Amino acid sequence: MAVTKLAYYPGCPSGTHAIEQDISTKALFEKLGIELVEVEDWNCCGAVEIEDPHLVYALNARNLAIAEKDNLDIATPCSICFYNLERTNRALREDKDLSAKIRGIDPALDYKGTIRARHTLDVIVNEVGLDEISKKVVKKVPLKVAPYYGCYIGRPSEIGFDDPDNPDSMDRLIELIGGEVVPFSQMKTKCCGGPLMMTKGDLAFEMTKKILEAAKAKGADCIVTACPLCHMLLDAKQPDIEEKYSIKIEMPVLYISQLLGLALGIDPKKLGLDKNIVSTKEIERKVI
Amino acid sequence: MAIKTWELDPKFKYEIAATPGGEEIMKCFQCSTCTIGCPVTEIVPSYNPRRIIQMSLLGMKKEVLESDEIWLCAICQTCSERCPQDVKISDLMGAIRRIAEKEAEEGKIEVKSVRPIFDKAFANQLRKYGRLYEVGLSLEYYRKAHKGLISGLMAMQKDYSKLGMRLFKHGKMGPRSMLPEKIKRTDEVKKIFEKMGE
Repeated sequence: MAVTKLAYYPGCPSGTHAIEQDISTKALFEKLGIELVEVEDWNCCGAVEIEDPHLVYALNARNLAIAEKDNLDIATPCSICFYNLERTNRALREDKDLSAKIRGIDPALDYKGTIRARHTLDVIVNEVGLDEISKKVVKKVPLKVAPYYGCYIGRPSEIGFDDPDNPDSMDRLIELIGGEVVPFSQMKTKCCGGPLMMTKGDLAFEMTKKILEAAKAKGADCIVTACPLCHMLLDAKQPDIEEKYSIKIEMPVLYISQLLGLALGIDPKKLGLDKNIVSTKEIERKVI
Repeated sequence: MAIKTWELDPKFKYEIAATPGGEEIMKCFQCSTCTIGCPVTEIVPSYNPRRIIQMSLLGMKKEVLESDEIWLCAICQTCSERCPQDVKISDLMGAIRRIAEKEAEEGKIEVKSVRPIFDKAFANQLRKYGRLYEVGLSLEYYRKAHKGLISGLMAMQKDYSKLGMRLFKHGKMGPRSMLPEKIKRTDEVKKIFEKMGE
């Protein structure tokens, strides 16, 4: 295993609604022996709301430049942050004029293009690797799991690190720790509607409901995800969706860092499992 | 909707192609792959990205920019990934939305969707603090979308009081999240907006 230290980009929800993702990612990486150094004074990646790509590139040139100073690859647990950081990386390397223009704005944006931006899930599966992880597994997680990947893990394929149509990085982790992947290929990359949550809530609810209902119909004990926006809709908004459609779902939604952390014997509290909205008590009970 | 040729704006497609994200519009050969795989179309059958592109290519500027449909895209990249012509439709829709926002600000068209208000409120938080300040975003968005502080607060309470309680109970929304988390060098971020902002 080559990587021992990474620049960590937590993303804006890490202090609020995705706090359990932040906590569990840190605990997991400590267990894996990779030091995470938070990017000093990082700024928001622009999420999906900043729609001008050039503005996104300038915002993230600053983040990349800070990590580059320490000569570290940058890693984030958020799929949207990952997409914005890595597409900036590509664009600035490929378009010299644009790169020069952005560099001219402020010395803080003087990014030379020497590091990579990665999703923490990519680092876990493709850098640490399943062999290394299997040596650290101390508990079995015999659960039926619906792996939900959402959009930016595989799409667009020039940026994503997994297959755009049938990603399997989480599937492999689930199987490694004794879980069973429920048939979910129709749903695993279907958008949750996250970017529409505030402005077209009904549509976003409809999109998320499909994912929740599919997981339930396949008999899943829980869903795992690797994106705070997907998690917000699937977990925090699940009671609202149940109420709106008069349905019962009661589906725990864990971050992949939480599920993997359980298998590695990390204390549920240290994985922030008390912070998930839909109770994860049943899940914790089934870990042996 | 019948096309009135004398109302078409043949320059519209070039305007889109000159807007970052919209560069590839002219490659579209109308195969509908984007629309067939779209998760939004699945729920709202009238949403048709292929048609939006065709209307744009024809120069139906006002119809495109004033349509509610351009605001339904969830930027999920499914269309971009599957497009055989590499039109990058997710980015293209973003370019069209930004043209609509600009024209609406200049009073040339009327946009009914509240999405531009949300995007703008988001950008304002980012410019001010360097990071997303969720409380500030919600307050600004609801106040503007509901045309007034009181009506905004009432709508916000209706939409979010239950979620807020839930987040609070699980330690995800405490006194800390009531205040913005401001980065140290906000001047650098401000400069980015000044120099790169459209």
